Amino acid sequence: MRNVRIVAQRELAQYFLSPIAYMVAFAILLLTGFLFNSDLGQRAGRLPPDGTAVLGVFGFFTVFFAPLITMRLFAEEAREGTLELMLTMPVRDGDVVLGKFLGAWAYYSIILGLTLVYQVIWLSITTFKAYQLSPELDIGPVISSYLGIWLFGGAALAVGLLFSAITENQVVAGFLSIATLFILWLGDFAGLVVQNRVIAQVIRALSLQAHYSTSFLIGVIRFEDVVFFIGLIVVMLFITTRLLESRRWR
Amino acid sequence: MIEVQNLTKRYGTFVALDSISFSARQGEILGFLGPNGAGKTTTMRILTGYMPPTEGSAQVAGYDVFDDSLEVRRHVGYLPETVPLYRDMTVRGYLDFLARLRDVPQRKARIDEVLARVGMTDRARSLIRSLSKGMRQRVGLAQAIVHNPDVLILDEPTIGLDPHQVQDVRALIRELGQTRTVMISTHILSEAEQMCDRIVIIDRGRIVAEDTPEQLRARLHRSGRLFVRVGGRAGQNAGQLLGGVPGVTGVEPHADGYLISARPRTDVRAALAAAVVGHGLELLELRPWALTLEEIFLEVTTALDHEPVAGERRHA
Repeated sequence: MRNVRIVAQRELAQYFLSPIAYMVAFAILLLTGFLFNSDLGQRAGRLPPDGTAVLGVFGFFTVFFAPLITMRLFAEEAREGTLELMLTMPVRDGDVVLGKFLGAWAYYSIILGLTLVYQVIWLSITTFKAYQLSPELDIGPVISSYLGIWLFGGAALAVGLLFSAITENQVVAGFLSIATLFILWLGDFAGLVVQNRVIAQVIRALSLQAHYSTSFLIGVIRFEDVVFFIGLIVVMLFITTRLLESRRWR
Repeated sequence: MIEVQNLTKRYGTFVALDSISFSARQGEILGFLGPNGAGKTTTMRILTGYMPPTEGSAQVAGYDVFDDSLEVRRHVGYLPETVPLYRDMTVRGYLDFLARLRDVPQRKARIDEVLARVGMTDRARSLIRSLSKGMRQRVGLAQAIVHNPDVLILDEPTIGLDPHQVQDVRALIRELGQTRTVMISTHILSEAEQMCDRIVIIDRGRIVAEDTPEQLRARLHRSGRLFVRVGGRAGQNAGQLLGGVPGVTGVEPHADGYLISARPRTDVRAALAAAVVGHGLELLELRPWALTLEEIFLEVTTALDHEPVAGERRHA
């Protein structure tokens, strides 16, 4: 685990050395901030506060920005020649994969953490009596939503990491990741239009949205959803490790 | 320290290495020469644990590159042909990251020492992207020695350096080679001649010659051949004149002189000198003809069905 930690720390630091990290954080905060502002305006004094409104959209954003975070992880190293260095270090391939994944997940968590400011605003205007404009914030769904979006983000990053290990071209890696995540996201709708019930159930069972929007986002933490996301992460990391090892045999 | 036995690497049907064998002991600098695509990088990648061989075995620092790959990697310092650098990191940050992965004790002091050895102390805080090519090459060399490895494998270590830096790096490699096993690949033959204790010439996946630079030259020095350069108004006549000297069996124009072949165990130098001077010509040069390493290299790597040279190792 020592090597995993070292690789993860470097990857996390690397995000803050490149402009893309700040651009992604800026874009996410701008979009979610705009959404929060309009939601707050509509609800204040009229409707109960909903801390999960921003997080529902954050899931959809993740489909697009998770690949931006992961696309460089292996593709850039392969292109720059540093992958050869990493693979001749006394480090297991699995440690490199896990370290990079955890570094990316840590960065994702930091960005996700920035959205806590919206919850603080809700709490400040609903809990402090002097300024109370709405009923108190129901904190349960907020906590489950954060857990869900965090796991969802991890799964999306793991998918992105896999595609980064497939190609040396970052753009191709990013595009393939977005396409795959988008299909997995829309699996929920595909399940609705397919006539065959069994196939529809299978497609829906693989949908990212079905495991997030209809459970975590409404305050329900289902064991199967947790297993789905963790399982997806494990499978993706396993395949990525095998892909990396296959470079040695090519 | 390096022991390679019948190493073969195939990419599909393409044979990159064809049953090569060689060894290098501690305190020896082994030069690996060969044209592009000869199999140098493939050999180095196998020895550093980057890829496994298809057949054969290789041991580095006493560990098998396939069975004990992680141990091999601990004992090897490797500078690939494309210097592997994280361009957004500082020089110190980069070396610190790799030293941590290699679990180097007293990291800060060791990094200071390595930076001083490659002459990069004053650029320790610079971003790697801002460095010149020569400086990047030196940073690459620094990462290869930061863990004080037993075996150093360097792919074209002086490429891109200016003449002063080349001298410094060669001196550093010679110094490192006194106590370690160093294997370098290079296209610069004079470099191999100056730095290496032994040279392996590889071509199309096979070792075509292996010996010390001196022995390679000596063994390919063709007995009885002399180089003669004649001045004055010699013109075409000089060749005929030299060919008529008793004991001379052949005259071949070469550069601005002639290569003279003579009967075995016949010293024709005095007769050649007398003939030239006797005909009123100027004898500018008369010396035994020895091939340079460059000529040896070209000779052994261009002939398809070449004759085996002394000291050569053929592997069918």
